Amino acid sequence: MANPTPVAPEGRPRGNLAQRLYAAFDSPGRRRALHLVLLAILIVTPWLSSQYVTVILTNALLYVVLCLGLNVVVGYAGLLDLGYAAFFAVGAYTIGILTQQFGFNFWAAIPFALLAAALAGVIIGGPTLRLRSDYLAIVTLGFGEIVRFTARNLEITGGASGLSHIPEPSLFGWYIDSSIDFYYVFAALAVLAYIASQRLFDSRLGRAWLYVRHDEDAAEAMGINRVAVKLAAYVIGAIFGAVGGIFFSVNLGAISPESFSFQQSVLILMAVVLGGMGKIPGVILGAFIVVLGPELLREFDTLRLLIFAVLLLLIMLFRPSGIWPEKRS
Amino acid sequence: MTMRTILKLIASTAALHLAASGPVLAQDEPITIGVQAPTTGSEATYGKDMLNAIGLAADEINAKGGLLGGRQITLVSGDTACDPQQSVNAASRLASQEVVGVVGGYCSGATQPTLKIYGDANIPFVIVAANSTQLIPANPGNAFMINSTGADQAKTAVDFFAGKGIDKLAIVNQGDAYSQDLANLTRDAWKAAGHEVSAFEYVNKGEQDFSALVNKIRGSGAQAVFWTAYYADGGLLIRQLRQRGFQGTIAVGDGSNSPKLFDIAGRAAEGVYAFSNPTADFLPAAKQFISDYQAKFDTAPGPYAPLAYDGMQLMAWAIDKAGSTDADAIIKALGSADGKEWLAGPISFTPQHTLARSNFVVLEGQDGKWTRYQP
Repeated sequence: MANPTPVAPEGRPRGNLAQRLYAAFDSPGRRRALHLVLLAILIVTPWLSSQYVTVILTNALLYVVLCLGLNVVVGYAGLLDLGYAAFFAVGAYTIGILTQQFGFNFWAAIPFALLAAALAGVIIGGPTLRLRSDYLAIVTLGFGEIVRFTARNLEITGGASGLSHIPEPSLFGWYIDSSIDFYYVFAALAVLAYIASQRLFDSRLGRAWLYVRHDEDAAEAMGINRVAVKLAAYVIGAIFGAVGGIFFSVNLGAISPESFSFQQSVLILMAVVLGGMGKIPGVILGAFIVVLGPELLREFDTLRLLIFAVLLLLIMLFRPSGIWPEKRS
Repeated sequence: MTMRTILKLIASTAALHLAASGPVLAQDEPITIGVQAPTTGSEATYGKDMLNAIGLAADEINAKGGLLGGRQITLVSGDTACDPQQSVNAASRLASQEVVGVVGGYCSGATQPTLKIYGDANIPFVIVAANSTQLIPANPGNAFMINSTGADQAKTAVDFFAGKGIDKLAIVNQGDAYSQDLANLTRDAWKAAGHEVSAFEYVNKGEQDFSALVNKIRGSGAQAVFWTAYYADGGLLIRQLRQRGFQGTIAVGDGSNSPKLFDIAGRAAEGVYAFSNPTADFLPAAKQFISDYQAKFDTAPGPYAPLAYDGMQLMAWAIDKAGSTDADAIIKALGSADGKEWLAGPISFTPQHTLARSNFVVLEGQDGKWTRYQP
């Protein structure tokens, strides 16, 4: 935040430890130090850990990108989106189709994937501008399913089996193919997504989203272009999702419609809500919990999802507005 | 943030990684085998069944003195939940636990992306259940499929329907890699045999109400329905087909031949046919296996138990034949499998590492259980 607000004594009661932790992150000087430490950890981790840890963290970083993207739509602009995996799918499939069936270079295909995602953002944003809350959720849910079903039924997307043998990208003769390579790619993406989110939050557009979220009519009366602001949220969110999808497709080398199911959208939304809607570190935390939780519980085998669900319930019981909620709202 | 806090943070991260990186194998230490199976999610019944059967095989081998002159087998399980992304996680975990080999693989769609991981890590992989033809080109050369592929099943299905004098066939799949693959193969083979596919439909996983589909099938004049997906939804479809007066033949693929189909479909499952991999009940060599399994797990072995058991035994055989835990030697030994008789019949491989024969049988639902169908 540009100007950190002091913790108001009449605010929500908080634990001492949590309060201090949050305060530490909100003061600019300490935040820089923390950034450096986190960046250092991000860089050295794959050298200290096994391949499995690298793969899981890569997955977590992918979710950081996706969750930060959904956070723009849900957290910043307050538009409930239950079909976010659609944008993820658009990015992944555009890359898959262009590189595999039209022989595009991976890097040359990226602008098309981003364009396709932005277009998808406008398509979903356009008709839903008049809708609010529940109705909006239903339409976005429908949109997500439409994209998945389209992918499942078209010849060009490979039907239910999806696309496989998507070529690995190379950069100046260096092939991005090992799990460590992909870890760094996703780490870079996550950092970029973090910076972009932060800038958006502080920007004029970020303020406009805040006003629209709180009171659309009042915001419009104050001269905010409601239509443009909401569309911007969808398009920006879509681009985040597509970026995740682009690199997801080359990382796995194969994509199928099952990867972009409703459950995927819910998982991303869950991470955002769990961490704290609108709060960037909260959302990142949520992404890590959603990915690492079930993995850390692998020892429990068949019980792991049950235990994870109970943990999530407990978190929501004790921290109903997320683990690390936004103060400004 | 003080320097001390930073150091503490780094130290604790490092400790976490050390804890996660697992033990190092020495010559006298156990041989670790990974089991890749869906032990959670909608296919957990089959996954648990495979895990049990593989455990039974490992226990028997250990009781006989283990492998390579006394080394015991320990199993680590990797839950795939039948989901491609989770499978990749599970496979990476198994690969970094330095398993000597992996046995398992149930859902074809979830098995496919793991092939690259085991290929890169050079780990021999015996695929016991997954049998989509999509797996064949994705195999980097270290995987061996001991279940007959979808093409074999499609052929068995076409022969069966043709033998029943059927001309118009409705095929229903669930839109995942396995069931759509089988549906496509059957459709093509059925048309090639000069018959008509009157309806080719798919339903979503977890759907409850099939009334629109049933009407469509009845309207198409289909004489038979072939369900190519799994039992949980197949049972509901069968029930609703019969409730709405469909009189024709119903057959289900090998994803639906579980005894649980009778729990879901009830009396509607009477007279339903199923194509099946060799399940324990129909294998003369499996009597001892059935009683051992029953005694140990207090339940009857499911449809993939014999294949899972064979997969573990085959892996053990290959390790002993290779004379070491060297991956290349084990892969070479697996490739040279010589048609020795196992629980579910002889195993030898084609150059593509698929089973060199079709192992499908036709079953019929009678009095709430499957019996071998004799035409």
